[in-house]
Amino acid sequence: MLLQLKNIFKWVNSGGQRIFLLKDINFEVSEGEFISIMGPSGSGKSTLLNVIGMLDGFDEGEYHFLDESVHSLKEKHRSNLYKEYIGFVFQSYHLLDDLTVKENLEMPLLYKKYSSSERKAKVADMLDRFNIVGKKDLFPAQLSGGQQQLVGIARALISNPKLILADEPTGNLNSKQGEEIMELFKKLNDEGVTIIQVTHSEKNAAYGSRVINLLDGRMI
Amino acid sequence: MFKNYLKIAARNLFNNKTYSFINIGGLALGLAVSILIGLWIHDEKSFNTNFSNHDRIAQVLVNKTNNGEVRTRFTLPYPLADELRNVHPNDFNHVVMSSFPGDNVLSSKEKNLNKYGVFMEQGALRLFSLHMLKGNQSALNDPNAIVISESTAKAFFGDKEPIGKTMHLNNDAVVTVRGVFEDLPHNSNIFETLAAFSEGKPLDFIAPWTVYVSMYEWVKTARDRKLWDNNSYQVYVEVSNQSKLQAVNDKIKHALYDHVPDLTKKSNPEIFLHPMNDWHLKSSFKNGVSSGGAIQYVRMFGIIGVFVLLLACINFMNLSTARSQRRAKEVGIRKTVGSNKNQLIGQFLFESFLVTFCAFVLACALVGVLLPVFNPLANKQIVFPLAKPMFWCIGLGLVLITSLLAGSYPALYLSSFHPIKVLKGTIQSGKSATSFRKVLVVVQFMVSIILVSGTILVNRQIQHTKNRPIGYEQNGLIMVEKTTADFEGKYNTLREAFKNNTGVIEMSESSSPMTEVWHSNGGYEWEGKDPNFITNIVNFYVSHDYGKTIGWEVKEGRDFSRDFASDSTAYVLNEAAVEYMGLQDPVGKTIRWYDGEHKVIGVVKNLLTESPFEPVKQAIYSINYQETNWINLKLSPDKSLAQSLEQIEMEFAQIAPNVPFEYHFVDDAFGNKFKAEERMRKLSEIFSVLAIFISCLGLYGLSAFIAERRTKEIGIRKVLGASILSLFKMLSWDFVVLILLSGLIAIPVAYYLILQWLQNYTYQINIPWWVFGVAISCVMLTALFTVSYQAVRAATSNPMKSLRTE
Repeated sequence: MLLQLKNIFKWVNSGGQRIFLLKDINFEVSEGEFISIMGPSGSGKSTLLNVIGMLDGFDEGEYHFLDESVHSLKEKHRSNLYKEYIGFVFQSYHLLDDLTVKENLEMPLLYKKYSSSERKAKVADMLDRFNIVGKKDLFPAQLSGGQQQLVGIARALISNPKLILADEPTGNLNSKQGEEIMELFKKLNDEGVTIIQVTHSEKNAAYGSRVINLLDGRMI
Repeated sequence: MFKNYLKIAARNLFNNKTYSFINIGGLALGLAVSILIGLWIHDEKSFNTNFSNHDRIAQVLVNKTNNGEVRTRFTLPYPLADELRNVHPNDFNHVVMSSFPGDNVLSSKEKNLNKYGVFMEQGALRLFSLHMLKGNQSALNDPNAIVISESTAKAFFGDKEPIGKTMHLNNDAVVTVRGVFEDLPHNSNIFETLAAFSEGKPLDFIAPWTVYVSMYEWVKTARDRKLWDNNSYQVYVEVSNQSKLQAVNDKIKHALYDHVPDLTKKSNPEIFLHPMNDWHLKSSFKNGVSSGGAIQYVRMFGIIGVFVLLLACINFMNLSTARSQRRAKEVGIRKTVGSNKNQLIGQFLFESFLVTFCAFVLACALVGVLLPVFNPLANKQIVFPLAKPMFWCIGLGLVLITSLLAGSYPALYLSSFHPIKVLKGTIQSGKSATSFRKVLVVVQFMVSIILVSGTILVNRQIQHTKNRPIGYEQNGLIMVEKTTADFEGKYNTLREAFKNNTGVIEMSESSSPMTEVWHSNGGYEWEGKDPNFITNIVNFYVSHDYGKTIGWEVKEGRDFSRDFASDSTAYVLNEAAVEYMGLQDPVGKTIRWYDGEHKVIGVVKNLLTESPFEPVKQAIYSINYQETNWINLKLSPDKSLAQSLEQIEMEFAQIAPNVPFEYHFVDDAFGNKFKAEERMRKLSEIFSVLAIFISCLGLYGLSAFIAERRTKEIGIRKVLGASILSLFKMLSWDFVVLILLSGLIAIPVAYYLILQWLQNYTYQINIPWWVFGVAISCVMLTALFTVSYQAVRAATSNPMKSLRTE
């Protein structure tokens, strides 16, 4: 088992009222799964993803990640945990505009004490694997959306995470580019990477092994 | 990692050229100003440190108390030096009596040059440990020797050997060159001068005391008769290695008091040592204790330097936080891929270090360009110490401090962003720092307003003093020093020759130059004087034609006249003297002195002969053709100046062929008294302009980002019908409020600072309130002008464009 959420609640207080963003979320994720989180706008998909990614906290409940109790960990441990095991893919790619493709890929490694030669090898490997060697010296603005997302995924993968969290990874792409990205996710999943994606599209959800439906912060 | 930071930083700078220009340019300007001020302060502090024993050298000064008021003087009687030498042999390595430096005619063969020199006792060269290029430090042991400076040697002998050459001094004494000393560096001042207009002249020669005694009868008299109450000399000492300056001070305190005549005892003369290290920066005394001096300017400019740098740092902080929206995404991404807060802080600090370093390099270039302009302005010969490792150490320190100062707030602010929020764009980043930015803008404009109002007031003080009635006519008035005996007894011949053959309307002679006071005496008695009142009155010995030449204004009675033989013992008083003595109807009254009774024949309006910032001292004018040192000439306004001067020079050459003709314009010499104030005015003007410029540079950047952030709001308002003018008002109003606020804070601070500065002057302006209004409006207009470019651009832009981007 990779992670387990038990009775997770998250709320904000607004105007004297408690508004629940997440309500009693319970589920487990095993290694090698490909899960899609679906639901209408405002149903808490992204919030759930951020909670799983430890970028956001929650108010009640238990969260276990690889036998660590995330809810009782200190901020520093928590960030070490997600640094090591989780990679993020964003809808709007979030590449650094001032860095080239190669440098963007290298960045996560810089925060993980790899030697220069190791970094070079890993970056070269990733460029090769994603077939973007020819683009390594281009800046994000010089790439198409699909290519940027490719780089985004490559960056998420470069430090060998156990889990990829993708927040509407195809949301900004046209259907053909979107399909390519989903094919890539499928392939990665087959290679053993656990993936949790947030999506609006039934078609994209179909790539996954399981779907979690949310409505108003509740699993249905 | 480092490389990555460097890349990001460099590309960031390159991709945001306006922003980088403002940041680096502003910081460079701030740093350049700090470096210049730093160099200036270093130069001021380095005064006299070239003398190897500067820690143990001192000048003997005396505090005298007259009627409750303590005055500090540097004039001492002849026997004091011997007294110190003989009574305290273990406390001093050297005790050296010195004349006052002045122009003397030095001649070798056909060459006669006016040279600025001094007469000193034997130990002088050792005391100052002068670096002898030729001869040695015992050169003055020969009673007929002279030691000359390197440049003087060059002027007379070129490349020939100067040692052993015979020279004439003031067409009188015959001396032999026994040594050549290296020219004293410009950052040395070892002599008190009697004429402000010769201040800063390089020392050309030192002649032995024996020559002084043989040349001047009055010096010989003072020596032979051990005159304890004739104060015409200065005394320098080097305290011995085992003695402490303060301890010696206590020992010698009464050395003068014990010997002076009873009358002088009344003023309780106490002598003390003024250490060489203080000669330049702490030369003023008030009520007998050190009251600063040039050190004030060192402090003031030090503060200004720090402030200007601070302004530039504030720009950096403001722009970095205002731009944070652009960097927020990067922070979010870096945090999600694994950067922790400290690493981000490190990154942003590194960026600010990089920017500061670029600015420092640029600042060094700026200083290199500006130094040649700055040097004459500040009356300095500062060399940019690029080759000195010390400079680079301090420079690096400056860069580190500046980058920390400018970078730490933005670094903390940026690194604290929450990754989800910034990546989702849910926070209007940059908004939370708005109030802090406002505070910084207020500080910036407060400094600008203080500097501007300070500049206006310094200007007014100078103008006010310059407009003060001086009591005589400076126009076309020149003065020539009688350096040699050639002029003795030739008064009438000279006067006739000048009046007949040149453009001179009138000639006269006087003991002091028009702009100085060289003599004062006590011991005056008059009817109705309080017997306990200790008198001290300034004396001017003049010829009959003095008043006519300088155009003084007779208020009561009459001027000196040759028609009355009794005028040779008559006195003319100035208004201050009448008030000082408390005389009613002074004309006709009798004043007694040691030499007999004197009738007051007239009262003249006060003549401004000393500091224009001080009240005029009580003065007595009397006829005395023997004591005059200066020739005063009034030139005709109808003749050309050049022609008149040429004719005068020819007449001089007839009478004293071996004396080089050197003259001073009285108005120039008078203007010289404003030197320090004028310098202060110029520098404060420059620094105010710089401060406003740097502040506006930041404001420009800030307004650009504010306009950018509000594009959407402006678009919506426009669609809903807002006029361009109302939008302009909306965008500028914030700044107007901020500047008014800074004005409010600046006024009391500026008021206090100016009041402190004015304390130095007895004759001072009051501080009118409109000055602050002018300063605030001046800064406000400049700021509005800066902001308006962005405001107009934003207000006139097409709203559809901005709304479509959402």
